[in-house]
Amino acid sequence: METETEKKISDTNIALISISVFLVIFIIYYSVMMMLSPGKKYAAIRNEFGIDTTEKSRGSNPIFSDSTYLKLLKEKAFLQSRMIMAESDSIYLTLNLSDSTMNLEISGVSVHQARFSYMEASKIFLKGDENLILSLMTSPFTIAKDRATIKKEPVLVKMAPRDTSEYKPDVVPDTSLTEPVNYILEMTDGTRIYICQEEEDNARERRSQFRFDLNYRMVDAWSCMKSIVRFRIPDYHLYIKIYLPRSDARIIYRAIPKYGQVGLYR
Amino acid sequence: MENFEIKDDITLPVNNNAPEEEKITSESILSTIKASCRKIRSNTKVFSLIKTLSVIFASVFALVLLFYFLLYIAPALKELPGVHVTEITNNVELKGDPSYRKQITQLNRDIQRLSRKYGSFTSGQSYIVINTTDNRFFLYRNKKLVREGFCSSGSYTLLQTEGDRKWIFKTPKGKYWIQGKLTNPVWRKPDWAFVEEGLPIPSKDHNSRYEYGVLGDYALSIGDGYLIHGTIYKRFLGMPVTHGCVRLADDDLEVIFNTLNIGSKVYIF
Repeated sequence: METETEKKISDTNIALISISVFLVIFIIYYSVMMMLSPGKKYAAIRNEFGIDTTEKSRGSNPIFSDSTYLKLLKEKAFLQSRMIMAESDSIYLTLNLSDSTMNLEISGVSVHQARFSYMEASKIFLKGDENLILSLMTSPFTIAKDRATIKKEPVLVKMAPRDTSEYKPDVVPDTSLTEPVNYILEMTDGTRIYICQEEEDNARERRSQFRFDLNYRMVDAWSCMKSIVRFRIPDYHLYIKIYLPRSDARIIYRAIPKYGQVGLYR
Repeated sequence: MENFEIKDDITLPVNNNAPEEEKITSESILSTIKASCRKIRSNTKVFSLIKTLSVIFASVFALVLLFYFLLYIAPALKELPGVHVTEITNNVELKGDPSYRKQITQLNRDIQRLSRKYGSFTSGQSYIVINTTDNRFFLYRNKKLVREGFCSSGSYTLLQTEGDRKWIFKTPKGKYWIQGKLTNPVWRKPDWAFVEEGLPIPSKDHNSRYEYGVLGDYALSIGDGYLIHGTIYKRFLGMPVTHGCVRLADDDLEVIFNTLNIGSKVYIF
């Protein structure tokens, strides 16, 4: 009887140890794959734009390490990108990381400007290779999809009354506009722009932001997991996370078209 | 120096007493724990219950840790590898190189040309910007803001009939221009105005289609039947309540009517 119990205990221990070892190995493998993903993205950008970042190529042309030259190149690229967007009649967004501003523009006319107090971004955007940044700035990003805590068009369906007896005058809509505003604009190349409202005045807003963030993290983790179990390096998404006043965040989200364009300057 | 000596004298007895007290208490605690462990072990039922509970607790804790790793730690790991940073040398010799100066001059010229072209998009003439989210308008003359205030824009109501006819009351967004200016405009009620009130739709030129005095003193057309006009419902200014037109207060409307000409740009976002 005692030996049976002992055997049971040792079996359980073996199972627990095996699970733990498997988990540790999986976590290490997962971590390594995650750390490899930015490299895959850099390589893809370099291939797409034909950038040679080797020391050999740099040594042959010192102009590419001159700050004045690079600054002017970036300014030119940003202007070219804005020109492309201005030529369409659509509303577009320009994002200037240098002076912390976001501009809504229509045909070259700035119609709304928002200033952000805080932002986070992928390393590549903050201190990455200038040539990579330059190549990302030359043409505007196009929004592929978005996810938000508010509706883009707050449509209210109303059935027409059958006769005058059923008619009720319009109730003034609720304009308190207190719903929390958080959204993600995902570009066609996978770059993501997260816009979060600055205000965290109450628990409801904090909860909403947490839920929204968690939801997106879960979607992302699921897609990474799917790649990793197939022994493939997961996709890396460049990101910019911006904290804006709620009213500005709402205005920008409602104004920008579903497949609108975004110009970037750093 | 004297102060130090005095301090040492005072602190010494306290330091001597402390380890003794600790020794006694830790030993007693250990012996109590050992005794209770022996008791629990002797009782196999309690022992197995505690063991099961600790396995469950450890599993839940491991699961939470795993989720935390997958959702928060792993994405942060993506940012760990170093990025290739451009080495800025600002070579002094390069600055004096004629080909470098030529390239810089060319770039400056390109930027100026592009800036001028981009700047020319903003009209020097008067134009109006309408923010449909906040229901505000901004009137510009010579690229300077001359007036701002509240307006009313589309309510985003989707009116549906049983016969599957639909109308959505939203203000269009984008670039428009003033196509016509009217004084004392008369509202020619479209079909939805009757449907909305549960009234039968009259013939095209029936008298009941014409309503006087509801659009204010002036109206500016931006095409497709959309107007910038006045209102009798002034308390709703600043709210999204219209059928797609832009409503303004009387004094704002008068200034806008006098400032904008046919062809003036209207930017709605």
